[in-house]
Amino acid sequence: MTPLLEVQAVTRRFGGLVALEAVHMQVASGTVHGLIGPNGAGKTTFLNVIAGAFPPSGGRLLLEGRDITSLAGAERARLGIRRTFQNLKLFAEMTALENAAIGLHTDSRAGVLAALFRPPGQRREERAIMARAAEALEFVGLAAHAQHVAGTLAYGHRRLLEIARAIAPRPKLLLLDEPAAGLNPTEAASLTGLIARIRDAGTTVILVEHHMDVVMRVCDRITVLNHGRHLATGTPAEIQADASVVEAYLGQDALAEALAC
Amino acid sequence: MIRVAPALAFLALALLPFVLPDPFLLHLMTSVAIAAILALGLQFLLGISGQLSLGQAAFYGVGAYGSALMTGAGVPFLVAVPLAAMAAGASSLILIPVTRLRGPYLAVATLGFSIAAYLVIKNEEWLTGGSLGLMGISRPTLFGLRLRDPAHVYWLCAGLAALVWLGLCRLADSRFGRAAHAIRQDEDAARASGLRVTLIKTQCFVVSAVISGLAGALFAHHIRYLGPADFSFWKSVEVLIMVVIGGVGSAAGAVLGAAVVVLLPEWLRLIGDYRLLVFGATVVVLMLFGSGGLAGLWGAIRRPRGAAP
Repeated sequence: MTPLLEVQAVTRRFGGLVALEAVHMQVASGTVHGLIGPNGAGKTTFLNVIAGAFPPSGGRLLLEGRDITSLAGAERARLGIRRTFQNLKLFAEMTALENAAIGLHTDSRAGVLAALFRPPGQRREERAIMARAAEALEFVGLAAHAQHVAGTLAYGHRRLLEIARAIAPRPKLLLLDEPAAGLNPTEAASLTGLIARIRDAGTTVILVEHHMDVVMRVCDRITVLNHGRHLATGTPAEIQADASVVEAYLGQDALAEALAC
Repeated sequence: MIRVAPALAFLALALLPFVLPDPFLLHLMTSVAIAAILALGLQFLLGISGQLSLGQAAFYGVGAYGSALMTGAGVPFLVAVPLAAMAAGASSLILIPVTRLRGPYLAVATLGFSIAAYLVIKNEEWLTGGSLGLMGISRPTLFGLRLRDPAHVYWLCAGLAALVWLGLCRLADSRFGRAAHAIRQDEDAARASGLRVTLIKTQCFVVSAVISGLAGALFAHHIRYLGPADFSFWKSVEVLIMVVIGGVGSAAGAVLGAAVVVLLPEWLRLIGDYRLLVFGATVVVLMLFGSGGLAGLWGAIRRPRGAAP
């Protein structure tokens, strides 16, 4: 079966620095695929290359067998690759509902003239957008905050709102960049459940995360990067038993302990 | 949603010619209505999509000269005005390459456009009459009826200003307006949501230019004489002052700002040469009251201190 996403020998250089070197990865449809590695391993760079924030210096990316290497980020989003950001990028002045509605922009059509003259089609579409945006908020547990301005939400809620905006159009692939960062253990545990529900609803997930309990609990497969190179890929159990992975994390006691859990 | 205060204000303005049938006052208020349309055009661009343009005088000029030349060639007023507005919109497409720029870079690029348009108006005598300008521009004519009464011209311009206001409110509260608003706040997140940023920014420029062109066309038939002086980059700055003292992001603010910028220098005529100085000082003081402008000030008066906005 064709993997949903196939990454072939992707390299990314920043000037003289090689952030990614010939990295391979295959993400099967309907899975949560973890992406881990010590700090500076190139995880976020890798996610940015997949999202199309910047092009790779070499290699290819295939979405369902189609070459998307040369497509800009907005075009990849239109094909069904959505993401969240490590440092939260919400539309701070808009309500939670409007933030989620932006996620549905590509699924709707009304333009300038429709906005001015408001034919029935435009009104119907607008109602449909808002209904689906509300569904997305409900899915992540933010229904009560629909009318709150995004910038005023609590930190954990803002993280959830980014996810709601990304999953509103039911994308094929969701890229989560450290969604558990800054969350307390209770919030992290419910995030684990949310990621599993997103997968079960039909969206494949690539998860970059430092919280090993989240990663080990929810991921079907895990790829480990180290110094911009592919180190290992396998099930959580295989990764925990992999000597090279443990070695890569040596000296980072907290993470080594987390891997042993 | 129509709130009470704007509805009452609009009613009062509609009845103005009955209450104060003074031709000079109506002439001034017509100028306010035209300036309000111009300010609403920039308010949309700056307040919703966050693009700072110092080139509005160019679109204003295309609309003014376009409509004057077309009616001069026999095109009916009701056809010439929308065509001139569309021509202004088309002229903004020249700016597509600069919509990638942000903040001060975009402002300077559009300022350059404004200066170039001014030079064309001043030097292409065969088309624009050069420094002598265009004279004897026809009065607004609706269905063969020539509007001679200042009250009628006032109603036409004020009515169109109200329509533009309504239109912009509808645009702001729509899929398109949300997208433009989102881009203003975070372009990376907008792209990650699949928004075609350059396309949407360009559309905002076209909308803004069409509105500015409409204001220009009305100006031509209101004043009935066009010269280069009204289309220098100072006009672009004036529009920006209207929007900023009114309050960026507020349609009512744009209208209030236009009223201040048009009326204040008139009221200050009494003090002769000092009027521009006082005008400048007033602008500075209004800015000191906060970035919300007149609209923000009004909101602050209505809300007790510490209440949520």
